[in-house]
Amino acid sequence: MPDPIVRVEDVGLRFDKFTALDGVSLSVETGQCIVICGPSGSGKSTLLRCINGLERFQAGEVFVDGVRVRDNTDLPKLRRGIGMVFQHFELYPHMTVLENITLAPIRAKGVPRAQAEKLARDYLERVGIADQADKYPGRLSGGQQQRAAIARALALEPKVMLFDEPTSALDPEMIAEVLYVMRDLARGGMTMLVVTHEMGFAREVADEVIFMDRGRVVERSGVKEFFTAPRADRTKEFLNKILVKF
Amino acid sequence: MQYEFDWGMLLRSPYFGWIVEGVLTTFHLALLSWVLALTLGIVIGIFRVTNSRALRVIGTAYVELFRNIPLIVQLFLWLYVAPQLLPTETRLWWNRLDYVPYWTAVIGISFYTASRVAEQIRSAILAIPPGQFKAALSTGLTTTQTYRFVIVPYALRIILPALTSEFLTIFKNTALALTIGVVEITATTRKIEAWSFRGIEAYTVASLTYAATTILVVVFMSWLERRYYIPGLIRREREAA
Ligand SMILES: Nc1ncnc2c1ncn2[C@@H]1O[C@H](COP(=O)(O)OP(=O)(O)O)[C@@H](O)[C@H]1O
Ligand SMILES: [Mg+2]
Repeated sequence: MPDPIVRVEDVGLRFDKFTALDGVSLSVETGQCIVICGPSGSGKSTLLRCINGLERFQAGEVFVDGVRVRDNTDLPKLRRGIGMVFQHFELYPHMTVLENITLAPIRAKGVPRAQAEKLARDYLERVGIADQADKYPGRLSGGQQQRAAIARALALEPKVMLFDEPTSALDPEMIAEVLYVMRDLARGGMTMLVVTHEMGFAREVADEVIFMDRGRVVERSGVKEFFTAPRADRTKEFLNKILVKF
Repeated sequence: MQYEFDWGMLLRSPYFGWIVEGVLTTFHLALLSWVLALTLGIVIGIFRVTNSRALRVIGTAYVELFRNIPLIVQLFLWLYVAPQLLPTETRLWWNRLDYVPYWTAVIGISFYTASRVAEQIRSAILAIPPGQFKAALSTGLTTTQTYRFVIVPYALRIILPALTSEFLTIFKNTALALTIGVVEITATTRKIEAWSFRGIEAYTVASLTYAATTILVVVFMSWLERRYYIPGLIRREREAA
């Protein structure tokens, strides 16, 4: 069996006295799409940030594609292989969409400009906003901005994509267009770790669902069992809450 | 006794030559100092907000030191005190330079202005959403690249209006260089007055130089502001509406 792309082993992280992650373990195999859900403040974003070295953890180990993530890791190199998508898009507002996407390929990976632009246009095509390439992010709708941000991450040609609540800041009509792109990616075989409360998305494309609470993985199971026969009481409670809401 | 104007004298030798030289000196003193102040100010401004405690201490010390001593005192310190602190060899080399007062003025004005630019940069960087750093780093840019390609260009656009007024200040501050013997336009004016007793004409030239340049700078900067305005930033959208 091949090594998983992402392996998190017993990771613990504290901010001063507050324990944000408490012995978290998980692994993501190539081509898998794994959904993480859980109440606000349960450590989901923090966990994603540990995987690409944006956050320092004090205990445990993280491996990405066989590389151990720790203080002396070549972090820029590690991150070039991991795409990350944020709740608030975080496009650079002073650059056009095309410049947003080509910046890292050109500066971090040394791809020639013409080639980087070609690549950027291909990915914009893929997320369905090829006609927005030369606009500034401020001129795009929320859904278009998030798709541009996904294209920016894809342009790294990453081995795994991390999504941190990519639709939480969007109006309902825009959520669909972003989920459409993500579903397309998952079906195309992209390895994905997705923090989301879009349970419809989880049902359709996730291989597994992880439920986190207070810095711990409470439950990890296949999609079917997760929704039909959750084991932990906390999971049941949580599912009741969000399934009623949506 | 009625004062009789003689504007024509300004075009006669030797005054005309002096005026041209004075204006040019003011211009390149201001521009050179500005380029240095901007560069140094950006670096110190970044020092003020980095994660490195040592750099933050250096940045803060710099700003407090250079911002709180009056520029004119700093000019005297650079001219009379600083060279004494140099090793003998270096001091002799410095004293043999052709335009010691000029270079002293460049150093004094740019170091002072850099502390003011640094404060602008610092507050602009603090106003940038932290997610911008995370996004840039997450794509594999190094910290330096993140500042160079994302954060600093963003910050400069935010503070463009403030930079306009800093540039106008530096331009007017060049007049202080006359106190350490730089013959810029204000000093030239005084020299003309002393030779010709035609103070009004002479000071008019100086005033016009400052006023005309100010207008040019304001026009140029408002063009820059339009050129580099960030679509969709709330502050700007409201202004445009
Ligand atoms: N830089 C930080 N300093 C202190 N506490 C933090 C920091 N980042 C996150 N936290 C805390 O860690 C907990 C987990 O945060 P987060 O990972 O953002 O949760 P989630 O994404 O699941 O909502 C929260 O209680 C949050 O307040
Ligand atoms: Mg979060």
